[in-house]
Amino acid sequence: MKPRNAAVVALVALLLLVAPASAHHAFAAEFDAKKPIKLQGTVTKMEWINPHAWIHIDVKKTDGTVEEWMIEAGTPNTLLRRGLTRDSLKKGTEIVVDGYQSKDGSLRANGRDVTLPDGKTLFLGSSAPDAPDQDKSKK
Amino acid sequence: MSKRFRTALLALAAIASMSPAAAQQFPQYRPPRMADGHPDLNGIWQAFVTANWDLQDHEAQSGPHPEVMGAYGAGPAGQSIVEGGEIPYQPWALEKKKQNFEKRATADVSSDKKWHEIGDPEFKCYMPGVPRATYMPFPFRIVQGSSPYILMAYEFTSATRIIRMNWKGEAPTPSWMGWSRGRWEGDSLVVDVTGQREETWLDRAGDFHTEDLHVVERYTPVSPYHLMYEATIEDPGVYTRPWKISFPLYRRMEKNVQLLEFKCVPFTEDLLFGRFSKETGK
Amino acid sequence: MNRLCILAGLMAALWMSPVAGQAPKSAQKAASKGTPAAKKSPAFKTPWGDPDLQGVWNDATSTPLQRPGGVGTKDILGDEEAAEFQAQLANDLTRDRRDGGPEVDVNRAYNDHWMDSRRLKITADHRTSLIVDPPDGRIPPAVPLSPERQRARAERAAANARFNAGLPDNYRDMSLPVRCIIRTDSPPYLPTIYNNDFQIFQSPGYVTIAPEMIHSARIIPLDGRPHLGKSLLQWLGDSRGHWDGDTLVVETTNFRTDDGVTFQGSNPETFKITERFTRVDATSLNYEFTVEDPKTWTRPWTAIIPWNKIDPAEQMYEYACHEDNYDIVHFLTGARAREKKGETK
Repeated sequence: MKPRNAAVVALVALLLLVAPASAHHAFAAEFDAKKPIKLQGTVTKMEWINPHAWIHIDVKKTDGTVEEWMIEAGTPNTLLRRGLTRDSLKKGTEIVVDGYQSKDGSLRANGRDVTLPDGKTLFLGSSAPDAPDQDKSKK
Repeated sequence: MSKRFRTALLALAAIASMSPAAAQQFPQYRPPRMADGHPDLNGIWQAFVTANWDLQDHEAQSGPHPEVMGAYGAGPAGQSIVEGGEIPYQPWALEKKKQNFEKRATADVSSDKKWHEIGDPEFKCYMPGVPRATYMPFPFRIVQGSSPYILMAYEFTSATRIIRMNWKGEAPTPSWMGWSRGRWEGDSLVVDVTGQREETWLDRAGDFHTEDLHVVERYTPVSPYHLMYEATIEDPGVYTRPWKISFPLYRRMEKNVQLLEFKCVPFTEDLLFGRFSKETGK
Repeated sequence: MNRLCILAGLMAALWMSPVAGQAPKSAQKAASKGTPAAKKSPAFKTPWGDPDLQGVWNDATSTPLQRPGGVGTKDILGDEEAAEFQAQLANDLTRDRRDGGPEVDVNRAYNDHWMDSRRLKITADHRTSLIVDPPDGRIPPAVPLSPERQRARAERAAANARFNAGLPDNYRDMSLPVRCIIRTDSPPYLPTIYNNDFQIFQSPGYVTIAPEMIHSARIIPLDGRPHLGKSLLQWLGDSRGHWDGDTLVVETTNFRTDDGVTFQGSNPETFKITERFTRVDATSLNYEFTVEDPKTWTRPWTAIIPWNKIDPAEQMYEYACHEDNYDIVHFLTGARAREKKGETK
């Protein structure tokens, strides 16, 4: 690749500096970088709400007890515009969450990666696996 | 067909589309029309019934916390806007309504799971849903143009809802103001509303519903200054049959009248979140 | 694999439509002169004769508000540079990098799921800043603040710091957007990372703009009536509009004096904003704003942001915010729990 244009370099640098972290409220306000978690659990409910959607999962521990976790997700409106609906992540779906736990130690986490057990990423692209056909509302 | 014949047909259809009560009250009226031939409903409208206190017959009441609020917090008497007088609840539902009412002016958001369990959503400044938004004691504006959407903008908490004209398709997920599909029947704007959050109430008396609530509204111009509003409400989870409400909407006539802001979130923050402050109560 | 192939592949993957393509040379020149890079579009009129701005619009873009400083920074990128910029940006923002520490990494991953992918696209005319005046594409120098405003700024900064550390004292330590009072709907409208949607409704004598966040409607009368009286202040101010040819000109006054109400900490009493909306073609309009505040900036400044209708089926959805704002309680109860454990940062 030819040497990158100085204008482009500067532009990208500026954008990385200001855009994602500051536009969304700080990760650090709620979650702890020193508390990474990896959970596998069954979806009991997904709340398609603003300002954050929440995915509720039951996580079975090795001792047989069940922990109820809630995983913070983003604004559902983005997903609705991609054709997903409230039925796109069904109760009973097994998911894997890679993320960070809340600073106060409660069973809450920010999902860095939310995937199915086979590694397929949820929510990227236009439909979720096993979801009914996209409900692209039409006139 | 000729424009005159078409206009006459529409006028006849308008009379036919109104309920008998509405047709009796008002002489025949031909509203001004938009370019597409449908009535022009643009304007600021407001209800003057006291249904937001209680849809059914109600005496004047002290309201919550009279020891603090005195006459400021009291509610007026009013006559039922429910056709037949009473909401046809399933027997179990009356107890739930009573509990709602007892806890109407309380809130407890200490647990996400219990966030919506108690308290009138209006008390917490949540969007009121349909039909309650129509009879809140605040004006709202109908914005009707030449796009396939009509906007209703409510002064209460600056709530809005978009009526999608001739739309096929359901709500992708429930919302506080619901999913509204509109069509014209004669001179009546008919709006079919589904997909409402189950947490809204119909009034301060604790009248409630489930997420299967289905509301069909009709807005019919009956004079230059009145729309007749009717709504049929059904929810097999709570009521034994569909039921109807109706009342007139009045055009706000003050010179240069406009919707103002009633952004009530700041009025509720101490109530909801004050107890979690570092210095409790601040 | 040849790097050019990779670049081409990324370009193809990113570009969802042909809209982000070539800009006419005249548009490039016009943009750098600070005037709207748009031809007027006489074809779009409402039945009652007003220019037609109706529809669902999206203002996502990766062109930043301010042009980055430095040698060789151009106001307009050439086509190849623009493509390279977008590809590079996507590459830099990709979740697969995993470097930079957890916070940055999580934000990148988060962005992939939830953010508006159109924010990766530079404006169609390839500008390197949304600001078109001053010509350097940057916000003018600041005017020294009064001691009172300096104090207020410092207090707000301290509150932000407490919030960012996960230790807010009370709900007032959080910003107006986090408290769900106002968000994108506070003028001027700036692109953000998600829900960059606006729906414009028109009716005889009015233009109404409904931003998705937070579900409000700005109803703008066009009949020349006066603004509200000076003691009636509003979070979103009070707007009046008129047509200047095919351009809607909107002036907004009567802003409340709360912290964070006006743009960039400007002084609500002296802040002035004029916005201009001009339909360009079937799928775009230009949104231009000029802000001035002699108590905050040394001169007025102007930006132009294209609004696009890339997807004709695009819909606005309800953005309720306060109703399910669990976060406020999480932040506060979390802070109290940590204080009990003696955590101070």
